[in-house]
Amino acid sequence: MKTRNLSILLASLFVIAGAVFAAGARAAGEVPAPPAIGSTIDDFTLPDVDNKDRTLKSLAGKNGTVLIFIAVQCPVSNAYNERMAKLAEDYQAKGIAVIGINSNAAEDASAVKAHAAEHKLAFPILKDPGNKIADRLGASVTPEAYFIDPNNKLLYHGRIDNARNPAQLETSDLRNALDAALAGKTIEKTEAKAFGCSIKRA
Amino acid sequence: MRFTKAFLPITLCILLLSLAAPAQKRYGRAAKTPKPVTAVSPIDTEGLKGLLTQQRERPLLVNFWATFCDPCRDEFPDLVKIDKDYRPHSLDFVTVSLDDMTDIKTTVPQFLDQMKATMPAYLLNASDPEPAINLVDKRWQGDLPATFLYNEKGEVVYKHIGRVNTAELREAIEKVVSKKGE
Repeated sequence: MKTRNLSILLASLFVIAGAVFAAGARAAGEVPAPPAIGSTIDDFTLPDVDNKDRTLKSLAGKNGTVLIFIAVQCPVSNAYNERMAKLAEDYQAKGIAVIGINSNAAEDASAVKAHAAEHKLAFPILKDPGNKIADRLGASVTPEAYFIDPNNKLLYHGRIDNARNPAQLETSDLRNALDAALAGKTIEKTEAKAFGCSIKRA
Repeated sequence: MRFTKAFLPITLCILLLSLAAPAQKRYGRAAKTPKPVTAVSPIDTEGLKGLLTQQRERPLLVNFWATFCDPCRDEFPDLVKIDKDYRPHSLDFVTVSLDDMTDIKTTVPQFLDQMKATMPAYLLNASDPEPAINLVDKRWQGDLPATFLYNEKGEVVYKHIGRVNTAELREAIEKVVSKKGE
């Protein structure tokens, strides 16, 4: 009996030590590596801002889907509000869906909903409790975009474009990737570093 | 009468508080918008390249940060202490803000003033931050804060993405400073 209790105690200590280590690693700012271009993103389920579960599959576009990690309070993400709304509007007609994901622990569904209404973000926005999808996709910042084809193959990962300030816009990397995929052409730039606010993980 | 006795001090308290509140608000507002004294210099990608690769007599610590980045703000007091402890005799230290250029005379120097930061302060002046990020470290995604320590030869001897572990950073500085001249 004593041995059994000792085993349970040791096992518990390992679990606690593991949790402490994991928390420490996260505190040091480590984000899991993103999937490689060409790899398949598994379907997932997340609650929307009305707390209704949505699957990636149910929201996907027939010609592909753009996932963008966004934020309520990040000034960089907010600088892209109009561009994201326009992107969703422009490509919805072309069969590409845009989905926003908010993984910031401190921004709850009601704040995300109010923010979307205020900034006219008409595309679906999902909450990512415990940043599970941000971890799975290796998302570090907001805004950070992923473009997947109808088979969930990752075609592009990174920034929306080069400039926080739209007056300095030079390269619309995400739009270029979407246009190339729609035209059946090779995407020239499949990765471009996203710049923004760190996702505030749980 | 008992009621009046109890009522009078409460009324006085409310009156005093109501007078104090606007005063506090006024001071709060005044304290928030002093004219910044810290000068922040714009630096483009070429300038940053020159800064990082130039021959130097002392090790160089570079902290990339932004006012909108919470962990950056959080670690800043520790960096100011490190600056005060090392820069006078053994280390060069600069900060590079990745805020928008429109913040160069407002929020960035205001925050540096508030932190009492005196190390040379730059703000990246680049419409596209990617070349600058790649120049510093191809594996760095541009997430902030990011801290790099270079030896006199310009080699990176320590880097940390995310809020610094102050003890670890101090240890790395001690190591590179003590190796100087070897």
